[in-house]
Amino acid sequence: MIFNEHVKIREEKFGAVVFETLKEKVFVTNETGKDVLNLLKEGKTAEEIINSLADLYAVKPEDVKEDISGFVGLLKEKGILVS
Amino acid sequence: MDFTGSIDFKDLEAPLFIAWQINSECNLGCLHCCEEAGHSIPNEMNKKEIFSFLGQIVDLSIPYVALSGGEPMLHPHLFKICEFLRKHNTSLKVETNGEFIDESVAARIGRLKFRSVQISLDGATASTHEKLRLSGDWNKAVSACRFLIKAGVNTEIVFVPTKFNIHEIGQLIDLAYSLGVYGVYTGKTMRIGRAAQNWDILCPSEQEYEKFFATLNEKVAQYDGKMKVYYYPYDVVEELKYRIQYPSASLLVLPNGKVKLIGPLPFICGDLRKQSLSEIWENYKESWSNPKVIEFAQKVVSEPKLLAEANKWVELF
Repeated sequence: MIFNEHVKIREEKFGAVVFETLKEKVFVTNETGKDVLNLLKEGKTAEEIINSLADLYAVKPEDVKEDISGFVGLLKEKGILVS
Repeated sequence: MDFTGSIDFKDLEAPLFIAWQINSECNLGCLHCCEEAGHSIPNEMNKKEIFSFLGQIVDLSIPYVALSGGEPMLHPHLFKICEFLRKHNTSLKVETNGEFIDESVAARIGRLKFRSVQISLDGATASTHEKLRLSGDWNKAVSACRFLIKAGVNTEIVFVPTKFNIHEIGQLIDLAYSLGVYGVYTGKTMRIGRAAQNWDILCPSEQEYEKFFATLNEKVAQYDGKMKVYYYPYDVVEELKYRIQYPSASLLVLPNGKVKLIGPLPFICGDLRKQSLSEIWENYKESWSNPKVIEFAQKVVSEPKLLAEANKWVELF
């Protein structure tokens, strides 16, 4: 998955702020959202992200799969991820 | 599992956007200039001060900077500034009258991959554009758009409506599309700077604005999915009413390093020569609760003539 070239991500105390600078739209995430963004930046696949988050939060992958897929879908919908 | 959040601008550790007027020098004398540019603000930041500021922008991970003037293309260090910001992957927009952008300058901009270049085009015809933009050259501005587009630069056109040119908005948008620009931006003229001094001859009537927005709505629909046509429907007073409640996460930096709270208000919340950018950001957050600011902003809302005071700076710290 690839970030839109105009997207800038900055870590903050509350999580992260994502700025799509071409459309001038700001999107805010909490700590968990920031973790997903960092994994995406590292080039992880959806499956790898699900497994990492499940590990990190000590839950079963199937318990987070739908939520993570929904979040990734939202990032695509907002033009933050281009593919 | 939740991933998203919502915040107040005060939760941010640094601004998200810097609007930086890097100089006041300009080759034009536009009747509607909101900066009163064209004359020199004494004591502009020197190269060393500029690069200290740039270093702080990068250190604080400020994602997006817009450079304007005056005419930024006249600044002796413009390209050094742009190269520094782009080297550090900061999104960069330059707002210019376009008159100094030829093929080679456009190619240089193209290589630096700016977010965009915004050209001021105040008419679909040379005579209209040049009536407002004294000493301006419409052909050069249009050529700049062509060169930039050829060089692969996201090119935007900004149009400021006045009595002189408001009737040409539809034609201008069609021209923009034929040139291949990324977007056209407009909104009501701001009653600040030189525009405030010329307000009586510039300000369109309500009927003219009504027709203007109707045309814009038609054009938004016509170019949907093909070119961005964006207009801000509120005037500066309405904007101010909103900003008092919801300040943006941005700073307006003047050529001399002073930092303004917002264009239409006279308040200065810091000075890059005396304070760090982080300190100024904290000042900025605090300033929006300052009774002096709130009182003046409320006064402006009821007496818009006071907007003419916007460039008579009042230091808050």
